[in-house]
Amino acid sequence: MNLLGEVIEHYVILASVIFTLGAIGFLVRRNVLIQLMSIELMLNAVNLLLVAYNRVHGADMNGQMFAFFIIAVAAAEAAVGLAIVLAFYRLRQTVLSDEADSLKH
Amino acid sequence: MDALRAIFPHDDFALLLVIILVPLLGAFVNGVFGKRLGKEAVALMALSAIGVSFIASAAAFLLLKDAERTQEAARLIWRGWDWVTISGRQDLSQVPIQIAFSIDALSGAMALIVTGVGFLIHLYSVKYMEKDPGFHRFFSYLNLFIFSMLVLILGDSLPVLFVGWEGVGLCSYLLIGFWYDNDYNAFAGKKAFVANRIGDFGLLVAMALLVYYCGALDWTGIDAQSRSLLQAKQVWPIGNDVPWVTWLGQHYSSLSGVAEWVNRPRYASAATLVGLALFLGCAGKSAQIPLYVWLPDAMAGPTPVSALIHAATMVTAGVYLVCRMSGVFVLSPAAMFTVATIGGLTAVLAATIALVQNDIKRVLAYSTVSQLGYMFIGVGVGAFAAGFFHVMTHAFFKACLFLGSGSVIHAMHARIHDTDASQDMRNMGGLKRFMPVTFWTFVAAWAAIVAVPFTSGFFSKDEILFQSFTSFVKAPVEGGKLGEGANAIQLFQWPEWGGKFLYTLGVLAAVMTAFYMTRLVIGIFFGEFKGWTIVKRWKAPKHHHGHAHDEHEHGAPLEGPTPHESPWQMTVPLVVLGALSVVGGFLNPHALSMFGVHTHPLDNWLAPVFTEAKKFVEHVPEFEHLVVPLMLPGIGALVVGGGFAYWMYLMQSGEPAKKLAEQMPRLHALVYDKWRIDELYDETILGAVDSLAEGFAWADRWLVDGLLARFTSFVVAAVGTGLRYVQTGRVQAYAAMMIVGVGGMGWFLIAPHAHAQVMTDHASGSYSVTASPGLGYRYRWDADGDGTWDTESFSDKTNVELKLEPDKSQTVRLQVVNAFGRTAEKAFAFSRPKPDRSRGPATTMNVEQGADGQLRAMPQRPRPAASGTFQLPPGGNMDPEATRRLFQRLQQQRGQAPGQPGQPAPPGGGQPAPAPAPQPAPGGQAP
Repeated sequence: MNLLGEVIEHYVILASVIFTLGAIGFLVRRNVLIQLMSIELMLNAVNLLLVAYNRVHGADMNGQMFAFFIIAVAAAEAAVGLAIVLAFYRLRQTVLSDEADSLKH
Repeated sequence: MDALRAIFPHDDFALLLVIILVPLLGAFVNGVFGKRLGKEAVALMALSAIGVSFIASAAAFLLLKDAERTQEAARLIWRGWDWVTISGRQDLSQVPIQIAFSIDALSGAMALIVTGVGFLIHLYSVKYMEKDPGFHRFFSYLNLFIFSMLVLILGDSLPVLFVGWEGVGLCSYLLIGFWYDNDYNAFAGKKAFVANRIGDFGLLVAMALLVYYCGALDWTGIDAQSRSLLQAKQVWPIGNDVPWVTWLGQHYSSLSGVAEWVNRPRYASAATLVGLALFLGCAGKSAQIPLYVWLPDAMAGPTPVSALIHAATMVTAGVYLVCRMSGVFVLSPAAMFTVATIGGLTAVLAATIALVQNDIKRVLAYSTVSQLGYMFIGVGVGAFAAGFFHVMTHAFFKACLFLGSGSVIHAMHARIHDTDASQDMRNMGGLKRFMPVTFWTFVAAWAAIVAVPFTSGFFSKDEILFQSFTSFVKAPVEGGKLGEGANAIQLFQWPEWGGKFLYTLGVLAAVMTAFYMTRLVIGIFFGEFKGWTIVKRWKAPKHHHGHAHDEHEHGAPLEGPTPHESPWQMTVPLVVLGALSVVGGFLNPHALSMFGVHTHPLDNWLAPVFTEAKKFVEHVPEFEHLVVPLMLPGIGALVVGGGFAYWMYLMQSGEPAKKLAEQMPRLHALVYDKWRIDELYDETILGAVDSLAEGFAWADRWLVDGLLARFTSFVVAAVGTGLRYVQTGRVQAYAAMMIVGVGGMGWFLIAPHAHAQVMTDHASGSYSVTASPGLGYRYRWDADGDGTWDTESFSDKTNVELKLEPDKSQTVRLQVVNAFGRTAEKAFAFSRPKPDRSRGPATTMNVEQGADGQLRAMPQRPRPAASGTFQLPPGGNMDPEATRRLFQRLQQQRGQAPGQPGQPAPPGGGQPAPAPAPQPAPGGQAP
């Protein structure tokens, strides 16, 4: 039963906008913590999309189950990411990703 | 003698191995162990080696004489083993090259000369090289030289001769550069070797031609098949024409005549080509124009080397080759005339240079070149025995002259240890008093070379002059034409003026020879000894009287020893050679025919070797009785030249010569500088080679090193430098690049692609288009090529078939829509070509059933059109067995039964020029 019906596009557009915001935020912002938050945004946009499609096409709960996986992975990744930020701060006393350019030619 | 005959049968004549291998053994022992053995042992080894060789040569000579007397054999052969087998002409024959040695009249006499004179020179060198630290090396090289020379003379085929030929070239190089510490000596050795090498190229070309035309390289084989050389070969143009000349002729009408003339085919008989190629080899080895330049520089070697190699033996190898290949040479009057003319010109040119030289060895070197020219005049006109006789007498008197000059140099060298000064005539004079034996033997040899009557040189030179005037080579083919019909070529005719021209050259050279030899004798032995002052720290005595100081007047002390006579090891060879120079001529005293004495042992001895050649040599009958009148200019030359030199140098003490040199300083300098031929070669040929090398060096530096190595590495480095800026080290930049990449991929996946597989089959005219699948693709076709889509809606139809008539074409269009609703289209054009009728009908195959029931298909070969080529009469020159085998093979290839009529041949006449190069076809292939 398709309760969302013809409004699946709204969810797709919303998820795409959120994803784009997250992507642009990651590319543009210098603060590493904000970049991490942007990554979370992207992941959550994908979650939204998954759940929306699940509502429309899925008789089973594959979409929502996969969303759970993504939440778990996102959490773990955020923990590791913050640990890296901490280590980076201890090393460089800064949280600006511009400063992490040791691999520059 | 009977015992010898039993041990050495005529066809397994192992005595030749003794002759050849004992000097090799001597060379090996002296070379490897010489230093340890000490000087006396080395000398004994070398002398005994060549002594044994001489005795064995004498024994072989006697055995040969015996065999000839009993008519058993004219040539005694020892056959070894097959060295290599090469395929002959068009796979028809296998030409085996065997290691075999043989001795006949010519090589027997030559072997005696080489070993005899060689022995005397070895004896001489024992004392001459006594104080040299390289004593053992010298004798090793000398023995090696004798070995190589004997291989050359006694070889039974051209390849074995060539081994010896190269060997003597090598030994010449080693011996000229014997004192290799001096750069000039090494340079002279290299020059000799390189000039020889150029000649060797000629010899190799001749060998290749002989294999092609005669199918044999040994003496008996060549003599048997030499008539095959009477074919014409197109030598110009190679192919059909010179492409750029033809192009020029077509585009510029004014040049068309020139282009025609350049492209006109020119022919030479194969015999001429072989003769000229052989003569190039002889010019290199025997120092004729243009390759004589190495001989004067070769005087840098020790004097015994000059005596042995560059007077008596190696340089006569060229004459020996011409005599040996006389059967081939006489088939080509053009080549013979070339040989004689170049010989004559060389004789005159070298004599002019010798007139002004001061180094006594240089004078003798140019004299050698000049006398070699005489020998080539002799063999060039067909008087092979006379040319060879001059080889023999020249060996005697020239070796005597060189050894005598070595004796003089030995004495002078004791005074001053400078090579150039001790050989300079201007430091000598008056040595007659101090070195009487040397003087008298030198005079004996002088008498021979200027042809004082009844000396050996007189008989041989007079004979050559007489023959040059009266003898000539006639055309080997009747009517003087080679080939048939309109394409026959005219063979060279010996010119009317040929005899007179060669005779004049000979007399001119004789005058100059007399002059400079007399000048040499006077300069060395007469007058006052000018060499007192060349010693360092010589002080003039207080009472300087201005006259000869050769007596120890006033007790003035002299630094350096007085010139002294040489020890017996040096004078005995001089005496022997001097005696031979005087009496040796009576082996062939043709000039005595005016007294009615008609003995000529050497001619008789050599007659069996030259019987074939003599068939083409003729004498002008009117001149036969002119023996005495033709002798007179020769004697006149002696009187004029010798007398003039006597007057100028002895009576006037050289003053007129000095005045002449002052009046014409540039001419004098030119002649003294040997006409600057060496410099000419340097500028032109060596300069061209240098320029070529410079060009390649430039290419190596700039193209290979620059472009291929440095430029490519530069490009790689530059690209790397450019790309390096991508690596910013900032994660965000990398993420941005990732997003761009993902975007591109996404675009590619979203856009539809209209691909299809196309199958074409031109033969049957059916074509098919199969669209490739994709995600959500649906298709719409325009299969009939009318520009509108066949259906309105898209379907799943993926395949369209098409059939076309020949020479028709059609276009099929495909439109694809994907799940996103985007479309793409593509057009496919097909055309069926017209059937191809450009090739002729397919090959006719003759299918036959063999004996075993199998079917075999053999193509019926189209017959080649006869094109007026030069062909031998069928089965003409090949032995019948080979002709029959050839005929059978050709029949098999044609797959025909014998007797089937072939296609008619187009007429051979009226051939438009230029004709393609005629294939020298064997007799059986003509239709």
